[in-house]
Amino acid sequence: MATETPVLELRAVDVAYHGDIRILQGMSMAVRPGKITGVIGPNGAGKSTALRTLYGLLKPVAGDVLVDGEVVTGMPPWRFIERGISLVPQNRSLFNELSVEDNLQLACWSFRRDKARVAEALERAYAQFPILKDRRTQYAGAMSGGQQRFLELGRALALQPRAVLLDEPTAMIAPKLAAEIYEFIHGLPKQGITVLLVDQNVRQCVRVADHVYVLELGRNKIDGSASDFTKDADLRNLIAEWVDYRIDA
Amino acid sequence: MEILVLNGIVNGLIVGGIYALIGMSLTLLYGVLRIVNFAHGEFVIGGSFLAYALFSNLGLAPLFSLPVAALSFFAMGWGAYYLLLPRLQKSDDPEIMSFLMMYGVSIALAAVMLLIFEADSRSIDYSFTPISMKVGPIYVSTARIVAFGIVIVLAAALTWFLFRTLPGKALRATIMNPEAIKIVGVDVVKLSAFAFALASAIAGVTGVLVALVFPAFNPFSGAEYSIIGFIVVVLGGLGNPLGALLAGILYGLAEQLATVFLPQAMAPIVGFGILVAVILIRPTGLMGWRAQR
Ligand SMILES: Nc1ncnc2c1ncn2[C@@H]1O[C@H](COP(=O)(O)OP(=O)(O)OP(=O)(O)O)[C@@H](O)[C@H]1O
Ligand SMILES: [Mg+2]
Repeated sequence: MATETPVLELRAVDVAYHGDIRILQGMSMAVRPGKITGVIGPNGAGKSTALRTLYGLLKPVAGDVLVDGEVVTGMPPWRFIERGISLVPQNRSLFNELSVEDNLQLACWSFRRDKARVAEALERAYAQFPILKDRRTQYAGAMSGGQQRFLELGRALALQPRAVLLDEPTAMIAPKLAAEIYEFIHGLPKQGITVLLVDQNVRQCVRVADHVYVLELGRNKIDGSASDFTKDADLRNLIAEWVDYRIDA
Repeated sequence: MEILVLNGIVNGLIVGGIYALIGMSLTLLYGVLRIVNFAHGEFVIGGSFLAYALFSNLGLAPLFSLPVAALSFFAMGWGAYYLLLPRLQKSDDPEIMSFLMMYGVSIALAAVMLLIFEADSRSIDYSFTPISMKVGPIYVSTARIVAFGIVIVLAAALTWFLFRTLPGKALRATIMNPEAIKIVGVDVVKLSAFAFALASAIAGVTGVLVALVFPAFNPFSGAEYSIIGFIVVVLGGLGNPLGALLAGILYGLAEQLATVFLPQAMAPIVGFGILVAVILIRPTGLMGWRAQR
C-alpha cells in the first residue's frame, strides 16, 4: 500500500533548548493527511518539544522538518500558518489584556488588509464557538479556562487550516467539557482537517486517533495504528507501564 | 512662593512630557525586543545635534527638523536592527548581551558626536516670537510651550497607535506573550524591526524637543537621559507604555518641584529617591501591572 505524503514530518531530529543537552534524540514522526495522529508519553517525554519543532518554534540541531514532503527545517512559524498549519500549544497562548476579538484579529495578521476575509474568519470562529461572540469585547484573560481554550481552538480554526497541532487540549478542563472537545476533534477530519493530538489522557487519545506514537525520554518508543493499541494486550500493558495509565481501565 | 510652585508645576509638566516620550520608547523596546537600550540617551542627543546641524548649516527651524528626525531615525533604527540583532540572537542570554552591546553602542555614538561636534555644550540659537508667553501669573518660554504641545500630540498619537490599531496591538501583544505572537503567525523579525525603528524615531524627535526645552546639550548628555529613561521605565512598570507616560510626567514634576524647595544640587537625588522608594514599595511600577514576562 502506497502511503500518502505526510502533511508534516520529523525525520530523525535532535532538538536542544540551551547548550547541548538534546531533549529530542533521533525522533521521527509523520502526520498523515486526513487522519488524527496521537502522541502519548510520560511527562517530560518531549511531546511538546516535538510539536514545537514541527511548527518551527524550535530549530533542530540535527535531522529535518518536512511539510508535504518538502524539507523546511528552520522555517519560521508564520510560514507554517501560510501553509495551512496551526498550533494550539500546551501553555496558554492568548493575549490576556486584549479583547477576544482582538485575539482573533491578530491571528489574521498575514491577510489583515483583506477586511472581507478577516470578517469571514471571525464569523467562522464565532459560528464554531458562540460563547466567543458573546464575549468578544471582553479581555481574553477575563474568561474561564475552558472558554480560553475555545478561543484558542477558534483562533486556530478560523484560518481554515489543513492541519492543526493540538497540545493537551483538554488539560485542566472539566470532564464534561473535555468530552465535548474530544467530540469536536474527532469530527475535524470530516471537515478535511488533519490533526496531531498530544495527550496525557491515553484512553481518549487512542480512542480518537488513527495512529499513535509513544515517546519516552526524547525518543520514539513505539508507534502503531490505534486498533493495535486497543487490541493488543501486551501493548496495552506496556503503555500502562510507561505512561502509568491503563487504556482499558 | 506660590509663583515658584506654579513655575515648578508648569515646567515639571513640560520636562516630564519629554521624559515620558523617552520612557515610552525605551519601554517599548524593552517590552517587544527585550533590549535594554543603554544607548537610548545618545539616540535622543543625536536628534538634538541633528536639529542643531540643520539649523546652523541650512537655517532650518527646529520645527521643520522634527519630520526629518522622525524619518531619518526611523530608517537608521530599521537598519541598526538588522545589523545588531542577528548577533544578539546567537547569544545564550540575549537580555544581558543587549545591555553590553548597547552600552558599547552608546560609547561609540558619543565618540562619533564628539568627533563631529566637539565637546562644547551647544544650543540652537533660534527663538520664537514672542520669546515667552504669560501662563496665568507666570511667564513660560514659547519654545517650551510649543515643545509641550508637540509632546501631547506625540504621546496621544502613540497611545492611539498602540491601543487602537492592529500593528499597535501586535506590539502590545508581543509584550504580553512573546511566544504566542509567533504562534498566531506574525513575522516577529519584521515586527521587531518596526518596533526598533519606531522607538528610534521617537527618540530622535524627542531629541529635537530637548534642544527646544533645555538650555544646552553636548555629546555626553546622552547618559543622563538614558538614566532618566530607565528610572521612568521602572516607575511605569517594565514594558508598560501608559505607565511610562504617567511616570515620566510625575518624574518631571518631582524634579522641577524639588528645585523649588531644595538646593539645586539635590535635584538628581530626588529622582533616585523616588526610584528606590518605588522599587521597595511597588516593584511592579506605579500602575501596579504585573511585569508581563
Ligand atoms: N523552555 C525549555 N527550556 C529548557 N528545557 C525545556 C524547556 N521546555 C522543556 N524542556 C525540557 O524538555 C524535556 C521535554 O519537555 P516537554 O515539554 O517536551 O515534555 P512533554 O512530553 O510535553 O511533557 P508534559 O506531558 O509534562 O507536557 C523536559 O525534560 C523539559 O525539562
Ligand atoms: Mg507537554
